[in-house]
Amino acid sequence: MSNSSRAPGADTAGLGRGPLTRWLPVLLQAPAPPREAPPYEAGAGITPGRFLLRVILSVKRVTVPAMLLAVVWQVGESAVPVVMGVAIDRALATGNAGQLVLWLGVLVALYVALTMAAKSANRLTSYAVQLVQHRLRSTLSTAVLHPVGGAARAPDGSVVSVMTSDVARLANGVLLVIMPVSRIAAIGFIAVSLLATHWLLGLVVLLGAPVAVWLMGVLSERLSRDTRAYQGLLATTVGRATDLVAGYRVVKGIRAEAEATRRYRQASQETLVGARRNAGLLGRFLAGSGAVTGTFVAAVMGLAGWFAVDGRLSIGELIAAVGLTQALLPQIQSIASVSIPNLAGARAASARVIDVLRGDGGGGPRQDDGTGAEVALLPVVEVAAPGVTIRVDPGEFVGVRADDRTAARLARALLYPRSCGEVEVRLDGLPARELTAQEYRSRVTVAPHRVTLFSGTIRDNLTVGAPELTDAALRAAACDDFAADLDLPVGEDGNRLSGGQRQRIALARALASDAPVLVLHDPTTAVDPVTEHAIAVRLRDVRADRATLLIASSPALLGRCDRVVDLSEDAPLHGRTVG
Amino acid sequence: MSVASVRKGDGMSVASATTGHALPVAGGRATAREVLRLSRGHRLRLAAVGVVGIVGTAVDLIPPVAIGYLVDRVRAGTADLGTVLTVTAVMVLSGVLGAVGTTVAIVHATRIYHTVLAALRERLVSRAMLLPQHLVERAGTGDLISRSSDDVTAVADAAPAVIPALTVTAFTVVVSLGGLAALEWPYAAAFAVVLPVYVLAMRWYLRTGPRVYRAERAAMSARAQQILESQRGHATVLGFGLAEHRHRAVMTNSWGVAVQSLRARTVQSMLNARLNLGECLSLAAVLVVGFVLVSHGSSTVGGATTAMLLVLRLLGPVNQLLFVIDTLQSALASLSRMIGVATIPTVDAAEATTPTGPTEPAAPTDPAAPATAVRLHEVAFRYADGPLVLDGIGLDIPAGQHLAIVGPSGAGKTTLAAVIAGVHRPDAGTVTRPCRTAVITQEVHVFAGTLRENLTLAAPDATDREIRAALDTTGAADLLDLSEGALDTVVGTGGHPLTEAQAQQLALARLLLADPELAILDEATAEAGSAHAERLDRASEAVLAGRTGIVIAHRLSQAATCDRIAVMEAGRVVETGAHDELLTAGGTYARLWAVWQDGQHISANR
Repeated sequence: MSNSSRAPGADTAGLGRGPLTRWLPVLLQAPAPPREAPPYEAGAGITPGRFLLRVILSVKRVTVPAMLLAVVWQVGESAVPVVMGVAIDRALATGNAGQLVLWLGVLVALYVALTMAAKSANRLTSYAVQLVQHRLRSTLSTAVLHPVGGAARAPDGSVVSVMTSDVARLANGVLLVIMPVSRIAAIGFIAVSLLATHWLLGLVVLLGAPVAVWLMGVLSERLSRDTRAYQGLLATTVGRATDLVAGYRVVKGIRAEAEATRRYRQASQETLVGARRNAGLLGRFLAGSGAVTGTFVAAVMGLAGWFAVDGRLSIGELIAAVGLTQALLPQIQSIASVSIPNLAGARAASARVIDVLRGDGGGGPRQDDGTGAEVALLPVVEVAAPGVTIRVDPGEFVGVRADDRTAARLARALLYPRSCGEVEVRLDGLPARELTAQEYRSRVTVAPHRVTLFSGTIRDNLTVGAPELTDAALRAAACDDFAADLDLPVGEDGNRLSGGQRQRIALARALASDAPVLVLHDPTTAVDPVTEHAIAVRLRDVRADRATLLIASSPALLGRCDRVVDLSEDAPLHGRTVG
Repeated sequence: MSVASVRKGDGMSVASATTGHALPVAGGRATAREVLRLSRGHRLRLAAVGVVGIVGTAVDLIPPVAIGYLVDRVRAGTADLGTVLTVTAVMVLSGVLGAVGTTVAIVHATRIYHTVLAALRERLVSRAMLLPQHLVERAGTGDLISRSSDDVTAVADAAPAVIPALTVTAFTVVVSLGGLAALEWPYAAAFAVVLPVYVLAMRWYLRTGPRVYRAERAAMSARAQQILESQRGHATVLGFGLAEHRHRAVMTNSWGVAVQSLRARTVQSMLNARLNLGECLSLAAVLVVGFVLVSHGSSTVGGATTAMLLVLRLLGPVNQLLFVIDTLQSALASLSRMIGVATIPTVDAAEATTPTGPTEPAAPTDPAAPATAVRLHEVAFRYADGPLVLDGIGLDIPAGQHLAIVGPSGAGKTTLAAVIAGVHRPDAGTVTRPCRTAVITQEVHVFAGTLRENLTLAAPDATDREIRAALDTTGAADLLDLSEGALDTVVGTGGHPLTEAQAQQLALARLLLADPELAILDEATAEAGSAHAERLDRASEAVLAGRTGIVIAHRLSQAATCDRIAVMEAGRVVETGAHDELLTAGGTYARLWAVWQDGQHISANR
């Protein structure tokens, strides 16, 4: 916890606090990350509801105090009209100044208490939500995005939205054990206070409030369903704009500006129709809930008024009853329009999170089921495809010339050694699928053809291996002309570099890893022939005593290999090995 | 270039306006003017919304007054069942009518809001498409993307918070205060005394809140970025064994959001505490004023009850208004960023569509020189203040000729193509080109949609037969076998993934359908693995047949098939001539060819 310093005149917490309060400690400012975030289990047969419950109950230690404080807060809010009613009755109606001072004091004390409780409840609540989000993200990150052994299939784009929006929605489920509980407590308090005034009034509230909540829940359900549909439409429109602008150069290149604009307008108009319909449903909800609550409150007040006429209620009791009934409104509205949609949203998000956790992409955090066999530090690697076995000894630089499809299949088999294909990878004669993932990855590094640079500097992208190797790697990949300053940011997905530069940085990264076995797949397709020639000359030396397998079709690169295995369609003999 | 004035507006927009080349951001006045212009045609409805909203909130005031009346009647002992029933009926009726009135106002305001937003976003995209490309290239397409996506979403998402605040909530505050002043003016005066508390709270919040929220949003986008990169670069993560490393990066960013979110919530609860102070003081003021008034006989207990109920009713909306200010502010910032692009003068925009810029005095289809399709005279170009990238380039391309441009990386080939295409305007010299010029750049984008939609982008009226013919010509007919949908196969983001080679074939077929006079292929086949190269070479040739063509190629085999070759070095054309002539000349091209042949030779011999 970093509290602000006690030096006067410095608002170190950056919360805009004045000199009077800035020395006070701030609860839960910049807490340290949880030391461990054990994954949530999503075994077979678990329903979205159960998973949601498991997630909610995982932070009891924070949510229970938050809930108790929230009860104090909400009951306090409901007590405000009561205190005011009593004050009017005791002080104003009698003209007793002592009573006025007393009730002013009570009012201030009430506000102090409810403000403090609200402050702590809110902060504990958001802390609980953040803890849950963090743990859910950790679960998804280890199981789906970064599985230790590597999944059989790459996670698709949906994992991004699940790990951002769905995790947030699911974590908001934590609020369900805090806010609705405190609101129900407040409704209970109001009902009991009314019961104490007159049993019939209390009974009407006790029976009527659930009915009102239910009615408004029914009203809001259609609206929240439609709102989700509308948000989907909006996302489509925005996606279309992004897509068109991302293809800006293409549109400009073929002068299709008018057609592109027409297509966007079409999507935009569809969204507008959705927005208008959604506004209509919002109107139905607002008018409906306004009528329900208005009628209910008027009925309770009317009843209280009748009892007052009848003499069964004093004026003070009437005013208090009126105030209490008025305080009932926001509680009912909030349960119906916040908590019920929150529950629905959290359940839907829970279903999506479970789907992703169970999807064939991850299959849950699978344990390494390797036999624990060990291979040499510099192993011999063999790739067995139908009709041919490619063998690379330590220190050897072997090229493979293959058509696109075969090349992709080989690269895939080396990247996912456990997927069941017709290509088998062996290290020192042991099938790779019998090795632990860790063992395999520590020996074999695969540089895929499709280049991905991570945001950060060139150096950030290179130092996946030992830093001292970067200079040699950069030289071998012919990056000298643009990578003089390694602290240059590469931009999002490397967009500050040209295609050829990105590819050369990726090659340098592969070389810097100094892996015992390195697999390169078409590493220089975006590089001009002169530079490619330079790379081809240097590549062999930098991998001197390591095993390198180069899957490529560039003659310049293949020309420098120790051996080339030709698997291409036009090779005279299928699977011919040439030395 | 006259660009809509970049004025430093509020704190939010300054950041984006300060970078010299960013697209313009509209100032406060320009934003207001544009919103006013867009609201034309909705003014009558807007006025109706105002009237209905005020009436609705006024009707909502009746219940507290009725209660006050009932209290006084009960105290006086003049109330009976009839009074109670009347008061209850009035309360039910006014409650329902008030709800309906405010609802009608909100619904109509929401619809107008979305209609205006739709008009604005359409204008934004259409203007963006018409913008001179060099303007956009200088600002980066990322700027345009964020305006047409993030900003549009921000303004749309603000609707549920902003509209009730600007209509019903504001009316409620005004009408309740007005009602309080009319019925029991001393209470209203007491409430005014508390007003400075609210003003101070608002000033504090505007000073502190936006900064904290910005930090929270920045942390969130950094987190999303990390997750997205891991997903996109899954193969790299796996191939390099980076799982642990990336997991830590994602989790560090995840907790970074937690820290910022807690700060943001802290600021919110600090605002809450200030609002509670205001509430407490208002209610205390009601009690004190009521005590004085009642003991002097100038008000009744019923009047005090009405005042208390009115003040209680005021507090909710006042709090809501303060909370909405931040949303309103960031929506306004997004709005001015959208309007900044949407209102770039059309003169600039139109210039981009006509192929003749100010430096190109010759008419594009000059009847005097029908045989020359492209003419460059003493062309020079530099990026911003950088060194000359093109220097004294002169080039004539007769109609129908295919010219290859070759040279080492950084020689200026791509820049020359862009200048010929009109993407960049030369700093000196003149460029003449045909009216219908089309370019394929290195950037191959597959649009989200069906194959047909991708292809008809360039030729909206093309029939399925023409489309199939184009695919046949470019050797891309097997794209139809991707799925059973044939031309209806969905490709692009979220659709059927295409390989680089397939995407390039699609681009070539698209170009064929566009049927330009001059086609410029800028390394359109460079990205493909060379195994597909031959096929793509044939496709390029087919696309260029019968028109003037400029090919920028790394593979010299592609250059060798062109009629003429221009060799570039350091921004100048150093050699031109046919393949054989250049080989005989023994210059740069001959050397490049030797390197290239060397590579071919090795593979051929093996």
